[in-house]
Amino acid sequence: MKHFHIRSKLAGNIAVIFPKGHLDAHNVERFEKEILKQIDNDVVNIVINCKELNYISSAGMGIIMGYLDEIREKQGDIKLCSVNERVYEIFDLVGFTEIYDFLDDEKTATNKFENVS
Amino acid sequence: MFPEKPELVISIPSKTELLKMIVEMTKHIAIINQFPPSDAQKVALALDEAVTNVIKHSYRGSMDENIRVEFYCHAKGIKIKIIFTGVPPVLAKAGIDLDKMIKQKKKGGLGVELMKRIMDSVEYKTEENINICEMIKWKTQES
Repeated sequence: MKHFHIRSKLAGNIAVIFPKGHLDAHNVERFEKEILKQIDNDVVNIVINCKELNYISSAGMGIIMGYLDEIREKQGDIKLCSVNERVYEIFDLVGFTEIYDFLDDEKTATNKFENVS
Repeated sequence: MFPEKPELVISIPSKTELLKMIVEMTKHIAIINQFPPSDAQKVALALDEAVTNVIKHSYRGSMDENIRVEFYCHAKGIKIKIIFTGVPPVLAKAGIDLDKMIKQKKKGGLGVELMKRIMDSVEYKTEENINICEMIKWKTQES
């Protein structure tokens, strides 16, 4: 039984990635592949919609951290939205909430990119 | 303070596919032990991080090694011991510089920090080629 699913959609020059379930060291490769796929396709405006993400460990957070510099060098960004309270607490514990934009919903997150471009 | 005998002992092979099971079980044990759900999830995450480190660093990804986890419960908190062999872990210094890690494009280094920020104490020791990670979380007064 798979505990983690990932899908994405492209809205103009913004990729929205939907991690679902339990993201840990066992399934982090699939999450990394999805981020890499966007970068390889020159899509560097990335929204991670966490509405169905129940759990994240440092493995998943490491991927969000590891590609941020490359993405920002290419004038893009990673924004997170719809993060549930428990998962937000974990992001907050390591200081991600100071570095990344955490938005209430996908529309607000994508609008942030549209307002910049 | 904690009982000499663990309340629960599990012995698992060093497979990351078992991490979710460990997390769910730990959450359950912490909740039974009167931790609020939010703290129970964090304690489970700390154990996930500790076990992931064992698999990744001490066992270098080998899947047929053994990891023993012991849970000691007390009215005031929970103690978890992770017992393993392999390469002895080196506990990183406290504190991380997130901006620096981002600039360095680092993907690792958050796990131990999470363990330290979640738990009230995290200690590693190695005796006769056996490594032990001992973590304690006390309940807050509201729990």
